Order: sequence, then C-alpha cells, then structure tokens
Amino acid sequence: MSTATIDSHAVGHHGDAHGHHHKETFITKYIFSTDHKMISKQYLITGIIMGCLGMGMSLLFRLQLAWPDETFPFLESLLGKWAKGGKLDPNYYMALVTIHGTIMVFYVLTAGLSGTFSNLLIPLQCGARDMASPFMNMLSYWFFFLSSVVLMSSFFVETGPASSGWTVYPPLSALSKAMPGSGVGTTLWLMAIVLFIVSALLGGINYITTVLNMRTKGMSMNRLPLTIWAFFLTAVLGLLSFPVLLGAGLLLIFDRSFGTSFYLSDIHLNGVGALTNSGGSPVLYQHLFWFLGHPEVYIILMPALGISSEVISTNARKPIFGYTAMIISLLGISFLSFIVWGHHMFITGMNPFLGTMFMYVTLIIAVPSAVKTFNYLATLWKGNIRFTPAMLFAIGLVSLFISGGLTGIYLGNAALDIQLHDSYFVVAHFHLVMGSASIFGMFAGIYHWFPKMYGRMMNKTLGSLHFWLTFISAYLVFFPMHFMGLAGVPRRYYQFSLIPEFGIWMDVNVLITVAAWLGGVAQLLFIYNFFYSIFKGPVASTNPWESNTLEWSTGLKHIHGNWEGDIPTVYRGPHEYSRPDRELDYFPQYEKGNGEPEHYHGPVTVADTSYDGKKEKASTVFFSSFAHLFALKRA
Amino acid sequence: MNTIFKKTLKFALALVVIFTAATLLTDSVDISDVSTVHLKAEKPWVGADEYAYDPGQADTPEKALASKINWTILIFVILMILVLANALDISKYTAKITGRETVNQNNVNKWVFLLFLILGFAGVIWEYINHGKLILLNDSSSEHGVAYDSMFSITLILTSIVFFITQFLLFIFSFLYSYDKNRKALYYAHNNRLEIIWTFIPAVVLTILVLRGHQTWKSVVYAEEYHKGKINTIEVFAYQFGWKARYAGQDGMLGVADYKFISGTNELGLAVKSEVDALLIELKEQIADDQKTIKNLNTTVLDGLMADYAAADGVKDYKSMESIQKEIDAVKNGDRLDELEESIERKQKQIERILAIQNDKKLFVSTFTPASMDDIIAQEIHIAKDSLVTFNFRSKDIIHSAWLPHFRAQMNVVPGMPTKFTFRPTKTTAEAKKEFGPEFEYYLYCNKICGVSHFNMKIKVVVESQAEVDAWLKTQQTPFTKKPEAAPIPAIMSDSTQMTNDTLKRVALR
Repeated sequence: MSTATIDSHAVGHHGDAHGHHHKETFITKYIFSTDHKMISKQYLITGIIMGCLGMGMSLLFRLQLAWPDETFPFLESLLGKWAKGGKLDPNYYMALVTIHGTIMVFYVLTAGLSGTFSNLLIPLQCGARDMASPFMNMLSYWFFFLSSVVLMSSFFVETGPASSGWTVYPPLSALSKAMPGSGVGTTLWLMAIVLFIVSALLGGINYITTVLNMRTKGMSMNRLPLTIWAFFLTAVLGLLSFPVLLGAGLLLIFDRSFGTSFYLSDIHLNGVGALTNSGGSPVLYQHLFWFLGHPEVYIILMPALGISSEVISTNARKPIFGYTAMIISLLGISFLSFIVWGHHMFITGMNPFLGTMFMYVTLIIAVPSAVKTFNYLATLWKGNIRFTPAMLFAIGLVSLFISGGLTGIYLGNAALDIQLHDSYFVVAHFHLVMGSASIFGMFAGIYHWFPKMYGRMMNKTLGSLHFWLTFISAYLVFFPMHFMGLAGVPRRYYQFSLIPEFGIWMDVNVLITVAAWLGGVAQLLFIYNFFYSIFKGPVASTNPWESNTLEWSTGLKHIHGNWEGDIPTVYRGPHEYSRPDRELDYFPQYEKGNGEPEHYHGPVTVADTSYDGKKEKASTVFFSSFAHLFALKRA
Repeated sequence: MNTIFKKTLKFALALVVIFTAATLLTDSVDISDVSTVHLKAEKPWVGADEYAYDPGQADTPEKALASKINWTILIFVILMILVLANALDISKYTAKITGRETVNQNNVNKWVFLLFLILGFAGVIWEYINHGKLILLNDSSSEHGVAYDSMFSITLILTSIVFFITQFLLFIFSFLYSYDKNRKALYYAHNNRLEIIWTFIPAVVLTILVLRGHQTWKSVVYAEEYHKGKINTIEVFAYQFGWKARYAGQDGMLGVADYKFISGTNELGLAVKSEVDALLIELKEQIADDQKTIKNLNTTVLDGLMADYAAADGVKDYKSMESIQKEIDAVKNGDRLDELEESIERKQKQIERILAIQNDKKLFVSTFTPASMDDIIAQEIHIAKDSLVTFNFRSKDIIHSAWLPHFRAQMNVVPGMPTKFTFRPTKTTAEAKKEFGPEFEYYLYCNKICGVSHFNMKIKVVVESQAEVDAWLKTQQTPFTKKPEAAPIPAIMSDSTQMTNDTLKRVALR
C-alpha cells in the first residue's frame, strides 16, 4: 500500500484515522488481519480446502457403495489400516460419512459461505469502514481455523474420528465401547464443535451490530440489498440457536467423561455389562440438537438465497420482484425455523400429539419458500439475462431449491415420515435443498464477487463448464436416490449386497458414484480457475457486472477503511435496474441522479391491470411503520 | 488460429475415443450387472453377531477388475482435465487473436438451458416410469399402509405438478430472455395482487395436505383406539447387532424384563428368580476376581504379560506382541487399574439395584411374576394375517430403529424409554412371494446408525395364518419353563394373581 493512498484515505477518515498509520507486516496483513476483506478471503480459502476434503470423503465412500465386493488398492495406500486390502473398513465408512456431514454442514456451508460473504459484503454493502469489532472478527476466524484443525486431527488418532453420524446421537456417541469412533474421535469432534460455536457467535454478534449500527447515510433497512437482509437474519438465527448446541455438547461431554446421566439410561453394553447410568433420556439430546439443527438448515440456506437474489437481479437487469415480500418471507422462515425442530423426531417415540403440532408448523414454512421461488421466476420474466457463471449458479440454485424443497412437503408430513425417515429419500432431499442449493449459492457468490475480492476476473468458459458439469452431476447423483428411498433402502448402510432385496439398486449405485466422481472432477476446474485467476486472471474493471450496490463504488485496490474519501451516501434501493426513465440499464445506489424518484412510477409498458398504486402505498406504509417500530429506519 | 483450433479439436476427439474404449473395456466385465450382485447376495445369512470383516478374502479376478476400475477413473480424471484445459486454450487464443469473444457464450448457455430442460424432463419421466415401478406404492402389506399410500400419492401428484410447472418456467425464461444489447428488461418491481395469489394458493394446498396428513398420522399412532379388539403384543428386543422377539407364553402375558437382569444365559433380562440369583453370584465372583487382579496388578499380572510378550517375541508374532505391549502399557500407566475399579463400582451398583428390587416386597412381587417364566424367545417374528399386532420395542444398549418398509411401519428403539408400533398385516408371506418374487421375505431392518454391523442388523418377519403362528410358537424356545424346580415360586408371589393385566403390562414396559 503506497503512502499516498494511506494519506488520502486517512484524510477522509476523520477521527479514527490514527489506527492506520502503523506499518503493516506480513503477519498483520495476511495472518492476524483485522480487515474484514482479508478475513473474508481467509474464510473462503479455508472453506474451499474443507470443501475439497469433505467432497473427497464422499467420493471414497461412494466407491464402497457402488462396488461393495471390489477392492481398490489405492485406498490402502491412502488410508492404511482402515482400508486393508483396498476395502474400506465398516467403521471407517461410518467415520467418513460422519465427518463428511460435519464438514459440509458446519465448516463449508456455515463458515465457508456465511463467514466469507457476511464478512465481505456487510461492511461494503452497508457502507461501513469495517466490522463493528474487527478484533473479534479476527478471533472468529481463528477459532474457526482452530476448530478445523482439531476436527481434522481426529483422523490421526488410533480409534479413528467420530463415526456416529453428523448428529452424534448418544448413547452411541457417548459410549466409547459402542464403536471405536466414539472414543477419542468423538472427544475431538465435540471440542471442534465447541470452538466452532465460539467462532459462530463472535462472528454473529459482529454481523448484527454492524448491520444495525453502521449503515451509511441514506441506507435505511428498506434500502438494504437482500444479501444483507439474509446475512443479518442468518446471524440472528445463529446467535439464538448455537448456544443450545453448545449446551447439548457440554452435557454430552459430561456424560462421556464425568459419569453423568443426562442422555443415558438402562444400558447394558456388550463386553461391559450394565451401566450405572439411570434416568437420562437420549431423546433429550435430539431435542437440543435439532433446536440448533433446524435453524442451522436456514443458517446454511438463507445466505445462499440472499446471494442468488442479488445475482439474479443484477444479471437479469431487473429489480428483484417483490423486495418487501422477499424480506417478509425471510422473516417468516427465520421465525418458523425455531419451532419446527420436532419434524426430525416424528418416530423417536416422542408424544404423537407433538408430532401433529410440528407437522402443522413445518408445512407452513413451505409458503414463504414458495413465495421466494415465484418471486425469482417473476424476476427472470422479461429480463435481459446475462449468463455470467454467477448467474448460472444462481439459476441452478433456484432449480435445486424447487426440487429439494418439494420433497420437504413429504418429509414434513408426520404420516409420510414414518416410512421415509432415515431412508435414502431423506438423503436426496437435504442434499438437494440444503447441500447442493447452498453450494450453488456459494459458487454464485464466489464468481460474482471474485473481482471485488481479488481485483481480477475468473475465466467465464471454465466457469460455465464448471456449472454445467456440477449441475448435471448434482441431479444425476441425488435424483435417483429418491426412488431408492421410496423402495425402502435405508441410509448409512455400509453395503447393500447382504440384503437381496436391494440388489436391483446396484446399477443405480454405480451410476450415482460415477456421477459423483464427475462432479468431483468438475470441482477441479473450479479450483484451477480460482487459484489461477487470483494471480493471472485479467484485471477487473471497477464495476464489472454494472451493479447497483455500494461495494462496487470502492476502488479495485483493497484498503483499510474501504473508501478512500468519504463513505458514499445512498439515494435509493439496490435493485433499480432497467428504469425506463434512464438511458443506462442500472442506477447505482450511490449515484445522486437528476432528481429521479426513488422508484419509477411511470406508465408500465405491459398491459397490467393488477398494478395498483394505492395498494403499493399501503404496503410501503406497513413496512416503514414496522421499520420505525424497531428503530431500524434511518432518515 | 484456424490450425490451432483444428489441432485441439483433433486432440480432444482422440481423447474421447480413448476414453470410450476404456469405458467399453470396463463394461465388458459387467460391473453393474445385477445378476452378479444377486449371486453374491445369496451367500448364506451371516449372523450379525459373528459378522467380522476379513479383508484378506478378495480373490484375484476381483482385484484385476478393481485395478481396471481404478485405471478407468484415473483416465477419466486426466481426460477431463486435458479436454477442459484445451477448451480454455481455445478461448484464450481466439480472444487474443480476434480481440473479442468468438463464441457468444450467452447464446451457448441459453441453448444449453433449453437442452437441459428437454433432456432433464425426459430423464425425470424416465425415472418416474422405470424406477417408479420399483418403489413401494400401492402394494402395502398392512392396513394403515393403504391410507399411507393414498396420502403419498396425493402429495406425489401435487408436488409433481408444481415441479414440472416451476422448472419449466425457470428454464424457459432463461432461454427466452437471454441478453440482447438492443433490448431493455422490463422494469417491474412488484405486484401485490400477484404476491397475495401465490401466497394464498400454496397455503390452501398445504392446508389440505396437513389436514389429510393429520388424519393419517392419527390413525397410525393411535391405532389401538381406532381398532378395538384383541391385540397381540410381541416384544421386539434390539441389541448390537441383532433382534429378538419375545412372545407371551400360555398365560398370554409378557413378563417383566430389565436390563439389570441381563446375563449370558438370560439375554433379554427376564425377571426369573433363579437366573437373577445366579447373576448375583456371578457378579460377586467377578468383583472378587477384579479385586484379586488389582492386588496382583504390578506383580503376577505384569509378569504374566511380560512372559507372554517374550513368548510372542520368540515366534516373531508381531501382531500379538503389539497387543500385549498395549496391555503392559495400560498396566504401567494406571489405565488398567482405573478400568478395573470402574468395573467393580459398576457391578456393585448393579448388585445394589437388584437387591433393592428383591428386598422391596411390593417391587419384588410385581417384578418376579410367573408371566416371565413361560415367555418364548424367537429368532424370527411370526405374526398372523389380519390380526392387530403391537410391537413393544426395547433396546439393550443404544438407539436402534425398527423399519418394516413393506408394512409402512417404523419406530425408534430407545434405551430407557419404551416405544411401540401397532399395525395389522394384510398379506401373508406366501401372498407377498407371489407379488414380489419367489425369493421375497419380509424383514425388519435397523434404520438408525448403531455401529459397525448396522448394515447387517435385520430379523425375518413371517406373516401367516393364526394356526400356523400357533404351531410355530410351539416349536420355539421357552428358556425358563424347562426347569420349574430351579425357580420355585415363593409364597410371597401368591398375591400376584390379584394384579390386573394392565399393571403387569405397565411394569413389563418399564
């Protein structure tokens, strides 16, 4: 960073300029950085590495499912005693399944997705110099990093990593004699999760505070891009639900190490005998776990939905359809996500009456989700769509969100869940709606904001290829799984060849594995493209996507404090694309304009009988009053 | 530029040919052939208890096949990377030479969207037709399964309609409205009437689904209230890794069972006085043994291990040397001592708790009833067609889940918490064999991850006539009736006859 930049930046920085004069070393700039943009890159790269590991694990255990009677010598050289003779050990299969789930849910789609883009975009799109507490932000990343290291270190202990599924239900996870992975591996898993929760809470507090307090002049809550709304509500969800998982984890640690009986009762274990634990309930753990677990699904999905809203609006060159409805849907989803956790537990022996209540609220969630889908479709309608890689992934997200979301209607129905619970149908459902859709959101975000992060462009051709291969692979892998589940194939089985009835699915298993490997190879394209473009990609222009939002008003070069001069003022909402009263098809939030109204109210070009100025006004009033009520609105 | 383009194309083509050849090579071995799988699946049933994975068994042809598959995967990976790297090169060269994009990527993507829509829908319909035949629908073997299937069908129809409409719109909009620099998108930010419509319609549809789902759910979980009459109660006992069924004997009552009473000869922990007394003696002996070991831990025990180690060293048995070394370490660092002390404490607690039951007159009477004496323990579940059956689930160790896919029945088996599932089978195994093939059998699978042999934890379920069930029951073990003299009914038991059936059942559940 040249001195000239620092000076001019410091001038515009008023009171808090003094912090930026000391010299930056390699360590303060790249390692213990407090700059939100650097932290975001750290999150992204850690997330990508964890994602590769998580996906690699799934590719290994898919081999076992497709060719249960074959041996793969390379597995032995990779895994040693866990794949003697080239065949995966059943215990290790479970371990891979468990850690794959943990990594994907927490490390990639929570930290990698929300951590990266909340950090990058909240200050930039709100118009803030940095996060409310940059130091806490740095701590948040390093707790996450430490947590990743602890989790991965469990692969190097003698009894292997945690292997009781990513939900680590006790008693299986509580008793080290029940399976090898429940020994040191689970202790490390729990430690990793505790560290992860600390990281998530530190990050979440920061995101909420920044969004509420540090928006620039003119950036009222109803001018915030939908990305920020999504990140904000995600942080609120995390802040309210992660502590419950912390509680659940601590009680499990007590049960494992200090002889308590929160989750244990009436157990007689092979080779041990009757345990002394009495009076606990394993179902208690499930309640506590899913009290996080269900909001967690939306912690994963909502940032992806926010990113896709922004990407779709920008690249369709249209305002996002129903901005207010989108926010209300997000609010609705956030609220409902807290009272539906029981739908993971319909057949645990929980009171059937509770099952009824959870079924009601669960199916209500489909309404805001449907509204969001229709709004996406309406945004695309009569748009002028630029198929940037980001846009492709955003469209892919909508497709996967529909496919995976619809099967949620089956699983949320208590009656249908009796049969579908823990079958491959569930695997297909959540991999489509939560796994693939969110990963697509993450890719959309990476391709869209790569120029912002690294000042260079990623290769478009490779990006498109990456998208199509991944998209095809996602459907080939997960669509047939629905039918397997409906035919009664249970999940988390190491091998199906011992049960004759499942023989007919062997060729489908082969197809799924081949498709999964195709998807894995497609990710190599992305990895290549990503790292190549960081160093050698063509230099980006300041606003490469001709976007409206505030982050494109900063220079290409990353500086502490983001804007060299004053932070720009915001004059209108984020989605004013293709306004008939403007020649250009975009109208940045920070551009003052020539006295145009905030929204274009002129004649609508299509015959639109339902357009009703009065009603629109009513909704604006409703929303503003809501915003005023919570003192969220700024003049 | 042209020559570069042609060269690359040729190169890519050659690679594709090689790849196809490699694929064909693998295909000729028929890795995906269903028949080979069936052959393997017909291996004699491996008892879950004995299941031990032996990696040394892979034979040579399989190894050869595996290496071919490895090669295919490797070639596939390399090819993909090469082809794509070339594709990248082309666009780079062309961009360099012409100074602009030669291929309009927007147009390419637009057409691929249309192609994906068509092929995707074709694929989905193919799946519906071909794999749709294999799913369990409209072939239920239980009474409530019919209601389940109709609920499922309604949901399937509604969601399929929504799926096809929304996916069609998504892809067709992507195709129709792709970028054109001479066109401007329509500025259309919101329409509240539309929002209301598409909030209202899903809400109504979901309300219908919820109400129907509620009815189906109620009829399944409150089956006893819906079907008055005699219920045959069978206890299904789950353990790592297997299932056992317990039937009531002549008296028609399931006796009390408790995890504290489980012993080598009393696997289900039935409340049989003689067994429990034997268990108490055994436990005391074990405690004495453990105490003895603790006393001699650093002397004879350690010496014995050292001697074993030396012996193993003599014959160069490295595997046992390693395990003995571990034991020696455990003795030296105190782990073994901790283990023994914990074990003593555990056993003392168990004795204490058993004695607490025996010494409490009321508890004793309600626990040690004659009902448990004649209980039948079976390795298969036989149930009568058209009779109402309740499975009472009990777990010995951890959470399992009992799934009977053909009966549309599933319930978790939770240690310390009784669960149950009531249903009425409507198809005998013989009838099902006619429908699903001669090799068909009903099974109850474990469907909650429970450890290393989770995938092989099942029990056969046979549906037949009541007479056949009764005849089969006569052939089954009643482990504790053979020696009535070993379990004299104490005088104290006489008032147990006053207990109602219900109380006994409730106690049995605990």
